[in-house]
Amino acid sequence: MKLNRRSFIKSAAAGSAIAAAGSIFPGISFANWKEQTGSAGQITWKKAPCRFCGTGCGVLVGVSGDRAVAVKGDPNCSVNKGLCCVKGFHVVQALYGKDRLRTAKVRRGGKMVEVPVSEALDIIAAKMKQTIKETGKDSVAMYGSGQWTIPDGYVASKLFKGCIGTNNVEANARLCMASAVTGFLTSFGTDEPMGCYEDIEHADVFVTWGNNMAEMHPVLFSRMLASRKRRGNVEIIDLATRSTRSSQASDKSILFKPNTDLAVANAICYEIIRNDWVNWDFVKKHTTFHKGKTNIGYGTEDHFKFKDAPEDISFEEYKEFLSDYTPKKVEKISGVSARDIKYLASLYGDPSKKCTSFWCMGMNQHVRGTWINNLVYNIHLLTGKISTPGNSPFSLTGQPSACGTVREVGTLTHKLPHGVVMKEAHRKMAAEIWDVPLTNIDPKPTYHTVEMFRALDRGDIRFIWIQVTNPMITMPNLTRYRNGALKDDRFIVVSDVYPTPTTDVADVVLPAAMWVEQEGMYGNSERRTQHFDRIVPGPGETMSDTWQIIEVARRLGYEKQFPWGEDEYIGKIWEEYRRFHDSPKHNMAPYDVLKKRSGVQWPFVDGKETRWRFNSKYDPACKPGSEFDFYGKKDGKAWIWARPYEPAAESPDDEYDFWLNTGRVIEHWHTGTMTRRVPVLHRAVPESYVEIHPEDAMNLGVTNGEMVKIISRRGEVTMKASIDGRGKPPRGMVFVPFFDESYKINEVTLDAFCPISKQPDYKKCAVRLEKA
Amino acid sequence: MNKRAKITTGVVIGFAAVCFSWTVVSMSAQAAPGVQEGFDWSGEKIYNRYNDTPLQAMTGTDGRRTLNTFYERRQYPGSPPIVPHKVAEAFSGDTAKCISCHGRGGYDAEQDAYAPVTPHPENENCFQCHVPITTENLFVESDWESVSPSRLGRSMMGGSPPPVPHSLQLREDCIACHTGPGAVAEIRVEHGSRGNCRQCHVPQVTTTTFERNN
Repeated sequence: MKLNRRSFIKSAAAGSAIAAAGSIFPGISFANWKEQTGSAGQITWKKAPCRFCGTGCGVLVGVSGDRAVAVKGDPNCSVNKGLCCVKGFHVVQALYGKDRLRTAKVRRGGKMVEVPVSEALDIIAAKMKQTIKETGKDSVAMYGSGQWTIPDGYVASKLFKGCIGTNNVEANARLCMASAVTGFLTSFGTDEPMGCYEDIEHADVFVTWGNNMAEMHPVLFSRMLASRKRRGNVEIIDLATRSTRSSQASDKSILFKPNTDLAVANAICYEIIRNDWVNWDFVKKHTTFHKGKTNIGYGTEDHFKFKDAPEDISFEEYKEFLSDYTPKKVEKISGVSARDIKYLASLYGDPSKKCTSFWCMGMNQHVRGTWINNLVYNIHLLTGKISTPGNSPFSLTGQPSACGTVREVGTLTHKLPHGVVMKEAHRKMAAEIWDVPLTNIDPKPTYHTVEMFRALDRGDIRFIWIQVTNPMITMPNLTRYRNGALKDDRFIVVSDVYPTPTTDVADVVLPAAMWVEQEGMYGNSERRTQHFDRIVPGPGETMSDTWQIIEVARRLGYEKQFPWGEDEYIGKIWEEYRRFHDSPKHNMAPYDVLKKRSGVQWPFVDGKETRWRFNSKYDPACKPGSEFDFYGKKDGKAWIWARPYEPAAESPDDEYDFWLNTGRVIEHWHTGTMTRRVPVLHRAVPESYVEIHPEDAMNLGVTNGEMVKIISRRGEVTMKASIDGRGKPPRGMVFVPFFDESYKINEVTLDAFCPISKQPDYKKCAVRLEKA
Repeated sequence: MNKRAKITTGVVIGFAAVCFSWTVVSMSAQAAPGVQEGFDWSGEKIYNRYNDTPLQAMTGTDGRRTLNTFYERRQYPGSPPIVPHKVAEAFSGDTAKCISCHGRGGYDAEQDAYAPVTPHPENENCFQCHVPITTENLFVESDWESVSPSRLGRSMMGGSPPPVPHSLQLREDCIACHTGPGAVAEIRVEHGSRGNCRQCHVPQVTTTTFERNN
């Protein structure tokens, strides 16, 4: 951007003295940005949650005229207390990329042609009707997002599950949070963290499990650092497969071999029992022991099915199971020294230390994602370090409403806003609130995300509507799914704010209102629902995703279920949705409370937020006098699981001798469609790269910045090497940030997933490298 | 804030008397009405910094850092500035290293410049908000616009102390930015020996004038 040389005080042309001053001080006060004309320059500030990650920082959007012009951290938001990260501080700039989609486009004769939005909506409704008539209701699908607002996801579910009667509703949170959900359900019987961010100020020990928080959850990481600085005796242990900024800032960095976190977690439990650090009072009163199936597969084949068969076991059997996981044995499996394992166990086992574990994609994008979630809960359950301030196994999210829209509204094939489609009571509740016949709601789940795109490729699905996400970058084994989407007789509708590789394959593109150009709510990692108003108008014919769905629903004949007016629909939808959660276990705050506050945590009972669930001191849903009540399970007891170590779906071998790990950098979020249009962020990291260990690079004959070809059994990508860069993988591993559409690393990754959660593993597959 | 400023050419010119003695026409009120600004509850910082900073460090002059360069590194008034100098690629952004220059300021031979002092050294994860630049190019052009930066010298009368024109969030430590050779020339005070800034300079949180309600 060129320096915008401007006169000293623009609107003060009236005063000649000022004009004189301008000529006297030619060097004064030039803004780097284009200065707004025609406004008084007065900024008003309005609250919103940040558009980017799942932390849920409160921001104040500075508005001048009809434009967002500045950002401050919201000091009233307890999440970030006024501090943001570089993405949040520039989030409003994501609205103003030159290539915003302003009109609808329809593919005609192979070309995208601009049409009025109303015409595009007609085309979508007609195509849906025709497809349902010709190939059945289960051949149309909706693929949404953890970036959907809560009303977006709610109306999508109501239309597809309630009105059309297909369970073909999935969201990209399947790719990021599904293992967290199944982890919670199998260990506690109910989803989402028991603790809250306030745990950070109480904890003495933090263990980050495969989670580079310094870059991915920087605001929370800063809260950890501030607590350490203030209290002095706080310890941060980074347990990961690669060295990152988080490792550098931690007191100790421990590296393990990919997938062996399962063994490490079991070894920690082995040590806790061997040293009798078990909190017996807690374990006897509040836990039971279980095992499930083993050798459960990887889901790489179409139509893969898996159902676990949990069995009760005794503590003695559990202890026997752990005998395979002595620190010595696990040192061989994991590469973590027995000493470090014992050290970790001693931290978790010390009754005087409050322990918080953080994790996100490392544990969730894992072929045994559900298991590793279970195993970390085991550590906290055996030691009774759970549901109290500072004692918190904390599963973080990556998208602003992965919890709010996908997990709480239930925009997954098997889910309903309350409960699952398989249960009649839950279907009854939905049918009643949605005002649809009970028979409309199909009791059989259809396709989880990977299988949904396989079904699109096979032709079982003919119509798919994709909103607020970019699967043509994010699907693993991408080439198959892109080719599938491009087949004849597939009709792809994409609602988005910028052109992306996914709009490139679309038959209809709808221009969406973005973030604060619409009213909505998000739900962050700590059960906090965050409302934002329509703060600025969207450009052109942009329309909220919720309203797009309502328009199509009405065209399909469901006026009765979608009766709201444009000035009231968000509030009405919220109050209807809230009925699903009307119990002390999940009650949501009313609309007028949400509007006022910078986020409200659920369960919201008698006007109070619940900060620690399952603890009767804080959680009114607990049985009185129970101390702890894991009420998600019938007997109020949490499950400790015997889950073994099993290897990744594809490990390096003689031919493909490197691990490929993928992830993010602080500057870019998701597939970069927004952050790359923010000047500061793009200028800091304009393109992706491959991190490689210096010795591996030397063997390959590659120096920093030279091109490396990364080849797997599925595809190849050629990109610049980063040696001793921001992150440093161990020997035998490379790491690639996935945001850059010029280097589609997911053409290389494998579509193996956790058989229980169906969440793919983006962190582990085998590749070989060539100097390019 | 001072009534005099040093500009790039090094010419010191009487400021207030020339042009800033008229009534405030509110152009860009950065402070938010009704929003807790931290000015009062973080006030201790100012005194601590004042105690910790040697007088010489508060009164030195350099003048090479100007409002031009100040705003060039920002996207709107109050945005976190980019890191304008080279940092090693493997650099973690850890405080100890950033703070070695930006904690107390002083001359850095490598940059041939006086380092600006951070007003919020308690935030340890520097790269959380401040990122370097590795290219001048954009992915796509931007339609970004923002408001004009705060006007200087907003004294109500000739020679009176101007109010604080910007938000104090993360910038509540006056001494850090407004004193010493690393300070922006136009906003550097020449009365750095005085430590109780709020004795004379008050934040402007609204542009409305007082009216009786009844």
